Amino acid sequence: MTLHSSRPDARTDLLHGTLDMLILRTLQWGAQHGYAIGQTIRAQSSDVLQVEAGSLYPALQRLAKKGWVTAKWGQTEANQRAKFYRLTPAGKKQLLREESRWTELVNAIGRVMKPALAPGTEG
Amino acid sequence: MSIVSWLKRWWLDDEDFDEEIRAHLAIAADERMADGADRRTAHFASLKEFGNVMLTTEAARRVWTPRWLDALRDRVSDVRYAIRALAKNPAFSLTVVGVLTLGIGLNAAVFTMLKSIALTPLAGVDGSARLAVMFGETSTGRQVRVSYPDYQYLRDHDSAFSGLFGTALVKANLGRGRGARQIWGEVVTWNYFQVLGVRAERGRTLLPSDEIAAGRHPVIVLSDGLWRRDFGADPDIVGRTVEINNDRLTVVGVADPTFYGTTVVYDVEVFIPVMMAPQLGFKFGSQQTTPSGILSDRRAALFYPQGYLRPGTTLANAAAETDTLWVALSRDRPLTDAAERLRVVPFSQTPNGAPTFLLPTLGVLSAMGLLVLLIACANIAGLVLVRGMSRRGEIAVRLALGATRARIVRLLIVENLVLAVPGAVLGVLLARRGIPVLVGYAERLAAPERVFFNIEVDSLVIGFAALVACLCALVFGLVPALRSSRVDLVSVINEDASPRGAARGRLRAGLVVAQVAVSLLLLVGAGLATRSVEAARRANPGFDASQVTAIAVDVKQNAYDESRGRLFYSKLLDAARADPGIESATLAENLPMGFLDTRAQRVAIEGYEPRRGEDLAFMSNSVSSDYFRTLRINLMAGRAFEDRDDETAAPVAVVNNTLAQRFWGGAVNAIGKRVRVGEGDWRTVIGVVADVKYSRINEAPRPYLYLPFLQSYRSSMVLHTRGAAPVDRLVEQARAHVAALDADLPILYARPMSEMRRGALLLFDLTATMLFIFGVAGMALAAMGTYGLVSYTVKQSTREIGIRMALGASGLSVVRGFLARGLRLGAVGATLGVVAALGVSRLLGSVLFGVSATDPTSFARALAVVLGGVTVATIVPAWRAARTNPLSALWHQ
Repeated sequence: MTLHSSRPDARTDLLHGTLDMLILRTLQWGAQHGYAIGQTIRAQSSDVLQVEAGSLYPALQRLAKKGWVTAKWGQTEANQRAKFYRLTPAGKKQLLREESRWTELVNAIGRVMKPALAPGTEG
Repeated sequence: MSIVSWLKRWWLDDEDFDEEIRAHLAIAADERMADGADRRTAHFASLKEFGNVMLTTEAARRVWTPRWLDALRDRVSDVRYAIRALAKNPAFSLTVVGVLTLGIGLNAAVFTMLKSIALTPLAGVDGSARLAVMFGETSTGRQVRVSYPDYQYLRDHDSAFSGLFGTALVKANLGRGRGARQIWGEVVTWNYFQVLGVRAERGRTLLPSDEIAAGRHPVIVLSDGLWRRDFGADPDIVGRTVEINNDRLTVVGVADPTFYGTTVVYDVEVFIPVMMAPQLGFKFGSQQTTPSGILSDRRAALFYPQGYLRPGTTLANAAAETDTLWVALSRDRPLTDAAERLRVVPFSQTPNGAPTFLLPTLGVLSAMGLLVLLIACANIAGLVLVRGMSRRGEIAVRLALGATRARIVRLLIVENLVLAVPGAVLGVLLARRGIPVLVGYAERLAAPERVFFNIEVDSLVIGFAALVACLCALVFGLVPALRSSRVDLVSVINEDASPRGAARGRLRAGLVVAQVAVSLLLLVGAGLATRSVEAARRANPGFDASQVTAIAVDVKQNAYDESRGRLFYSKLLDAARADPGIESATLAENLPMGFLDTRAQRVAIEGYEPRRGEDLAFMSNSVSSDYFRTLRINLMAGRAFEDRDDETAAPVAVVNNTLAQRFWGGAVNAIGKRVRVGEGDWRTVIGVVADVKYSRINEAPRPYLYLPFLQSYRSSMVLHTRGAAPVDRLVEQARAHVAALDADLPILYARPMSEMRRGALLLFDLTATMLFIFGVAGMALAAMGTYGLVSYTVKQSTREIGIRMALGASGLSVVRGFLARGLRLGAVGATLGVVAALGVSRLLGSVLFGVSATDPTSFARALAVVLGGVTVATIVPAWRAARTNPLSALWHQ
């Protein structure tokens, strides 16, 4: 998952939205620092999605700016200083919205890719 | 929320972010070390995995920057790049800036003057351009003033005007004795200030009660300038008396400091109610009348009534209504020699008014200014085109690297702007500095006459001129920029003549042709103007002013009556004539070439029955013996005045050649015939003299009469002396003779007579100076532009030259080839320019003198300069190219 663009906040960019959603999702189970977020996404996607730091950190700033996450310095289990990101209530709502949109999108793409299936049978 | 944390919401906290990244790297390295890697490897591996820290920080920062700031940063980098690119080519950059400075500066200056004279002619009067002026017109088209009784009738009956006032310009003698001086004054009706909306700074202006009966209210309103200069801004000025023409008037007020009267050019210092005119002995108009007749005689022309039209009334309506009134009045109360009709015109067309003289001149200047701007634009277009082409390589590389065409065009436009802005700033500075210099120059030329022009440095006008010029620069720069961006990559890389080369050549050729044509037009204008001034200076005014002095006095200022005055003047002449340093001395009432017409009087010719409505009013001059000898005016028949032509002798007159030709068919025939001036005696014509330019150098010949001073006494005369000594010494000498007779008599002026002609030449001088500046500026611009374009064409063809010379062509033939091409373009441009010049030079008619608008010399000179410029602009670069080694030319690219 390589994200390079001169305009990182372009709303139309599907990938951006997706990365944002993945980060929000990762934070659903509790506060995490940047490195851990990247590792989590990587692990959960079975190494398919490798989030580069160059995309991750701007994305985190973007989410912070929108007020969906807050950040706070803390200690890791290995007793290292790190900045932990936590979902805000607004972030939780956004995650729900993103999830339903995503599901819709996947279904739509699914229907396109497998036209034999009658529409509506999946859900 | 503290400021810092608020800012943090808007800007990325860089330190915090750096720390976060360091933490990220530390955690990643730790995990690697936990997997067994050594510290160094772990560190570098995590760095590598992280990627570009700078880019990440930059991306994170961009999340926080607002879009507009981001765009601004882009522009700033464009500007920075443009400045860097332009600094690499200082000759080009400085040229464009210089071109714009000149174009904007000249235009702003001319537009400021045009706007001032056309839209705000009168300082301190709102909407003065809307004033309408009334004047009478005789059957022969002579413009005449309206008498006071007729003015009253019109004021009370003409409903087209919301208020009608009258004003007449006079020269008033202020003070008495040595300190006295002559100032400009206006004799006005009481409502003058009221209609114009001018308030009193102190005291009051005039009231209806000031216009009840002649001499009843001896009051006066001063200008702010006079109050400050002569009365030290005395706070108790109201109630003090001032002396005007030896009569005491009580100051009732000081006019608003912004107000300078209604002449547009003169600094009027006093405003006197019309009811005081008879008592103060002012003379007006064309009819001789008793002093009290000024206010009661319908034939005593006094002034041009003026005022604002009622809302909704057009000038045409007003003219029709006024003329109807006049026709009815003429029918009810017929009057011989009355004006046939009354006309109403806008203020800018006041008969003999300054705007009437100035506006056509300024119009011509504005047109010239626009032409200069046009050349400047063509110049910039050419320069940008040439630069764009010489940067084809750079642009091609940029396009190849993925820059969009829009981005390239934007860059080129930014470059144009970077050039336009300093050009505009310098142009504005030039105009701001230049306008006061020009006005000051005009004031110095007019000295010691006090003049005032309502010309202010108007930021709006200058700003507008700058904006227009910048837009021109942008638009003209855009076309070539668009062309430059349409680079054919393949052709550039192959260094081949692209198929579009021809189109570019056409644009280039078009620019050369246009510049040559417009510069020719400007040069013709400048040439005609210069030749006009030469002609005006050379023109024979009919008299010889060199080595002649003019010392003006008015013995009334020392309360001389006529007999004492006669004695004074006769003693003065005797003393002057006894002086061995003085060849001849004489007295005259009026100076020739005085710019403004003097009083014209009705003249009767014995035995000549005027046709119905024929207008026989001519100017005359009261002169003493030796006048024609002193001024070297040619006597064509008969004799000149002698001292025996005194009040006891038979009344005599001398007429000019035009008058003699017109009524008696020749100079000799005129001798012994009789004429009568005004209501005076019948006079026998004893001599005929050659014509003189009586008011202006460009006037048509007109009838004129001279009366002997001893038979027509005037209190105010000018002493002329002629001698061999330097003229300044002569002036001092003559002045001493006056002082020796009466040390307290104020000398109104004492100057070499040649200086007195300056007023008549002032307008020519100013116009010609401006036209000359425009011509030279335009030519310089066009020469630079042409040189740039041609030399670029030559440079482009270095390969071609190399090939041709390698194939055996001589350097001379190469040069000849380019010269032929250059001259062909020059010829096309010159032809267009000549055609255009022939078409428009007729418009210069009003400012030309002594040369026809199609003067071949001016055209030939302009052609020679233009074609010479093109030749030099072609030969120099072509010769340089031809001298290069053919091989190096081939290697060049």
